Amino acid sequence: MNKLLHKRRDFIERSLLSALAFLKDATLSEECANRKGFLQSQDPRFKTISFLAFLVTAVSLKSAVSIGTLYGLCLLLAVFSRIPLKHFLTRTLLFIPLFSLCIVLPALFSIVTPGEPVWTFHVLGINGIITRPGVDGAILFVVRIATSVSLVVLLSLTTRHSELLKVLRIFGVPQLFVLTLSMCYRYLYLFATMVENIFTAVKSRVGVVSHHRHGQKVVAWNIANTWNRTTHISEEVYLAMLSRGYTGEPRHLSAFHATPKEWFWLLCAVIICAGLLYKGDTL
Amino acid sequence: MSDLIYEVKDVHFSWPGKFPALCGVDMTIRSGEKIAVIGANGTGKSTLLHLLDGLIFPHHGHVTAFGERLLEHSLFDEQAAHRFRRRVGLVFQNADIQLFCPSVREDIAFGPLQFGVTEEEVNRRIREVAQVLDIHHLLDRVPHQLSIGEKKRVAIASVLAIDPDVYLFDEPTAGLDPLTVRHIIDFMVNANRQGKTIITATHDLHIIGEIADTVYVFGRNKRIVRGGSAESVLNDRALLESNNLIHIHRHHHDGKEHVHQHLPLEQHD
Ligand SMILES: Nc1ncnc2c1ncn2[C@@H]1O[C@H](COP(=O)(O)OP(=O)(O)OP(=O)(O)O)[C@@H](O)[C@H]1O
Ligand SMILES: [Mg+2]
Repeated sequence: MNKLLHKRRDFIERSLLSALAFLKDATLSEECANRKGFLQSQDPRFKTISFLAFLVTAVSLKSAVSIGTLYGLCLLLAVFSRIPLKHFLTRTLLFIPLFSLCIVLPALFSIVTPGEPVWTFHVLGINGIITRPGVDGAILFVVRIATSVSLVVLLSLTTRHSELLKVLRIFGVPQLFVLTLSMCYRYLYLFATMVENIFTAVKSRVGVVSHHRHGQKVVAWNIANTWNRTTHISEEVYLAMLSRGYTGEPRHLSAFHATPKEWFWLLCAVIICAGLLYKGDTL
Repeated sequence: MSDLIYEVKDVHFSWPGKFPALCGVDMTIRSGEKIAVIGANGTGKSTLLHLLDGLIFPHHGHVTAFGERLLEHSLFDEQAAHRFRRRVGLVFQNADIQLFCPSVREDIAFGPLQFGVTEEEVNRRIREVAQVLDIHHLLDRVPHQLSIGEKKRVAIASVLAIDPDVYLFDEPTAGLDPLTVRHIIDFMVNANRQGKTIITATHDLHIIGEIADTVYVFGRNKRIVRGGSAESVLNDRALLESNNLIHIHRHHHDGKEHVHQHLPLEQHD
């Protein structure tokens, strides 16, 4: 019995750690952004603009086929950017059902979406009627979500966080906001690492996380401690900035270079979007 | 005297919450000198370097730098602040704090950009310091994901890019592997040969012979208990022992116990 408990705890711990590793990898790793592929070589500003255009197109289109075309394009770009398709698909498709199911499922039925019935069934004395417009709407919704999510994921996969933040700055997002975002990102990383460390530290001292009450205490104490440390660190970081000449408005490198290739890519993106928006809904 | 860089006179400083960190420190530092400040943990070495860098200011006594009083309000003026900060560079004890930009490249560029150096020149400096500190391969990495030794080198690079006259090093070699330590000491010695003043806080007595001509020993009373040539201080075993800088070692060899003094990290015979 004890052994069983132990096993279970071990299992929870291991899956927790691997979930954390996945999170860290999914949101914080820059491995894909450092590969040499098509999108990685694009100027971040142009890339962001073109992806915004795709996104707006995907949201405005009303035909599943033309949104599907955009999705195909997105997958193609992923391939040319040397992102393993399996990796990309698991990331995007995994949590789409979560998003859409609770919205799509009710919409299938005649009560919510009236129309020509496609399929009628009878369960537990309830008559269920799935309608044609219901099915169409559901497909459109799912395709649209899948495409939008894939576009956003692809952009973030192929661009370094620091560059994305810089693009925000260039598009006129206030400095304070960008700085806060970048701090958040840093603390997210710090936090993930900390949780990992707590596990290892507690384990090395006690053997296992002895009792969940004890575990809770350790975690709570660590969070409080991190908070204190954080405020202390931000004061010291300010001193470090002062030491190197900061007097209020930080100046940064503007390391982006636009070449004809970039303009060509933007032109292509605009043509694709315009074409889809013009003709797409008749497909 | 024209080559006088720092004059520290009867300086007292307490951190908020009444933690006294310095209680009456006097010091004179001339251009081109190699100075080391040694002392046990918590004796105020880092506090002194912060004072010399104009980040905190004494509650009592004063610090004169380059012939001018170092005062908080005189550094409010952007021009005056830049004039001072361009000449003094501090390598913080904790590299995590020193590196706050999203990429190594930007961290190195931060200082020069604040001083209005052109981008072309900044890029040239980045290439140059990357060469000197051998961090070419790290330029596009995120600083907080580097190893401790890599961070230290990037932190030094970010100060080197400013090209100050005075370098303040806070524990430059703590926790680094022997090769990296060698590399950093060579860098410091080289900088000094080129006429830079270097002031180092450390408790690693092994590097002192190379990086200091003059050594100040900080005691637990947060004052200087002794200042003198590196040689005379290093040979004063009683002084070092009473200030926690060397310790008595007791250990077993082949079943026999023996006791002897040695420097931290010194090889046993
Ligand atoms: N930010 C701070 N807030 C409050 N007290 C501080 C702060 N920094 C240092 N102190 C206190 O000031 C004293 C001197 O600290 P300092 O960091 O200067 O010592 P140090 O000689 O550099 O030690 P170490 O060898 O550990 O780096 C210590 O007693 C410390 O507790
Ligand atoms: Mg210190």
